[in-house]
Amino acid sequence: MTTSEQSVGESRAEAAADPRQTGRQLRPGLWHTINERYPGSMITKDDAVPLARLNKPLAEARVVMVSSCGVHLRTQRPMDVTHPLGYFGFRRVPSSARHDDLIIHQLKFPHDDADLDINVSFPVERLQEMVEAGELGSLSESFYSFIGYNMDPEKFEAEVATPIADAIGREAHADLALLVPA
Amino acid sequence: MSTSYLRQAIADGDDEKIIRFVRLHLGDGSEKVGRREIDKSWVEATKVLVDYEPIDRDAIEKTLALDDATLASLFFQLHFHLIKRTDGWIHEGSR
Amino acid sequence: MGLIQRQVEARGIPTVSITVARDVTERTKVPRAVFAPWPMGHHFGAPFHREIQLRVLREAFDLVQSAERSGEIRDLPIKWATVRRESKHLSAQGRQL
Repeated sequence: MTTSEQSVGESRAEAAADPRQTGRQLRPGLWHTINERYPGSMITKDDAVPLARLNKPLAEARVVMVSSCGVHLRTQRPMDVTHPLGYFGFRRVPSSARHDDLIIHQLKFPHDDADLDINVSFPVERLQEMVEAGELGSLSESFYSFIGYNMDPEKFEAEVATPIADAIGREAHADLALLVPA
Repeated sequence: MSTSYLRQAIADGDDEKIIRFVRLHLGDGSEKVGRREIDKSWVEATKVLVDYEPIDRDAIEKTLALDDATLASLFFQLHFHLIKRTDGWIHEGSR
Repeated sequence: MGLIQRQVEARGIPTVSITVARDVTERTKVPRAVFAPWPMGHHFGAPFHREIQLRVLREAFDLVQSAERSGEIRDLPIKWATVRRESKHLSAQGRQL
């Protein structure tokens, strides 16, 4: 172990903040690779979004999670993962769901480890524990899940991104949003 | 390839671009793998038919009467379906 | 995912994402992100390693409170080899086998 690298249990205060000393991206140049293979499918933004502020302590905050790993309840109809242009819809997943209630239906990323423990991609049980421990206030009733593979940024924005953001604004009553790609 | 890129390829009659996209999709981002995957699903379909098992032709006729979008989507689903039953399933990280 | 994050933040709800592709995240200019130098499909580390999963979450929530400028990416200084080594003998109960 180098001086800059921590074991998992060490506190953040001991962390070396120098990013040059941290691990590198395991698949470097991913943006260029994807853009070369699927021209026009990757978005680039020039403007930063002004920061919204958390206006209460974490211990009182309600958290919503959005994932592109394609997780859903075993009882829900799987999303279409074979369509060559992607699937433009989403699912609500109860924040009270446990590992055994959930399944990842996706082709485009390795989820064999998440199949063993859903929290590798979708840490729903860890969030539940943080609420029980009083670290977080509560969880929104539903979390949101969709398929990350899509070839049409405009259609994605209109039919997935905006509807999910609208749903969060309308029904999640969240103070903070955690977004986890796959 | 974004949808607009594909539409342009279709308008230009550039089948090479279209099939490259299909290979990338079926090969999880690798053209070479995609090529092999396409071969695999045809091999599997042929292997299934070699024993002359009875075929539900009514079901096939009913299915073929469906709309083109459903049928084209079914074509992609069947590709994955035929390979998934084999030992050669490479998706979802088991590669 | 970057589009959703930007939209949610623009609606007044602070956001943070986890990324294993720092270059993609830089280009989408999301408000805040934690970068873990780990493989795709492993944003929270390894199966049954509760500590590392919680660690990523705590880093993310801490960043929501401390970030001062939009686009801040926090690098998580834990190598994949370390995660793998520490999780090698973990069981479904999260205990060392």
